Amino acid sequence: MNDDESHVPMTGEEKIAWVYGAVVLLTSGAYFVWLATQFAAHPADEIAWEVPLLITLGASIVLTIVGTILGAIGGAVWQGIWGRFEEPDFTTDERDRAIKELGNRRMFAAMTAGVVGTLVLAMLNVDTLWIGNWVFLACSIGALAEVVSKIRAYRRGV
Amino acid sequence: MGGPKPTRVSNRIRELRTERELTQADIAAKLGVTRQTIIAIEQGRYSPSLEMAFQIARVLEAPLDDVFQYREAADS
Repeated sequence: MNDDESHVPMTGEEKIAWVYGAVVLLTSGAYFVWLATQFAAHPADEIAWEVPLLITLGASIVLTIVGTILGAIGGAVWQGIWGRFEEPDFTTDERDRAIKELGNRRMFAAMTAGVVGTLVLAMLNVDTLWIGNWVFLACSIGALAEVVSKIRAYRRGV
Repeated sequence: MGGPKPTRVSNRIRELRTERELTQADIAAKLGVTRQTIIAIEQGRYSPSLEMAFQIARVLEAPLDDVFQYREAADS
């Protein structure tokens, strides 16, 4: 009985946070690297960014769903290999909700900065390439701020 | 990521549940929370709501202030 903490798997909510963070880093990172190569090769007004951005958004959604499922299966297999299998726990409790609220506050702060920046860009009447990509950058930073604060809270405390 | 976040709320959950031969999983199941939440409370990384604190005390069959203690600022 006193061996309770010999092995403590992550909660379902924490696993989802890790998957989401990895997916945002991967997809947004890939998109901005691609965009940088386009800036190096073409004038800004010739860059067709809309479709790649939509593909990035779609890929983020699909990869988060697939990653969450694979993470659950992989975790169970890993635990099975080490003989520590536990029933997956998808309970969401008050601590998860407190951590979610914390993450939302961090994301909101980043998004607010993004909205202010968007207003400034619109007032300056800049090309939609800058506005669209600024908004996407703000969303990506907001998502990462959310994930980092949630994982930190799961590890260090709320 | 550094040490646990400090809190002035301490508790005797581990001691009391050991006396009653309850595991963290037992308490988590009775309260409908994750075992990780019970661990976080025991380690002082999460201060539960008043409602959950009462529920924990009830499961441990102990008065609330036997389970949870609050240190004043001067004590810390």
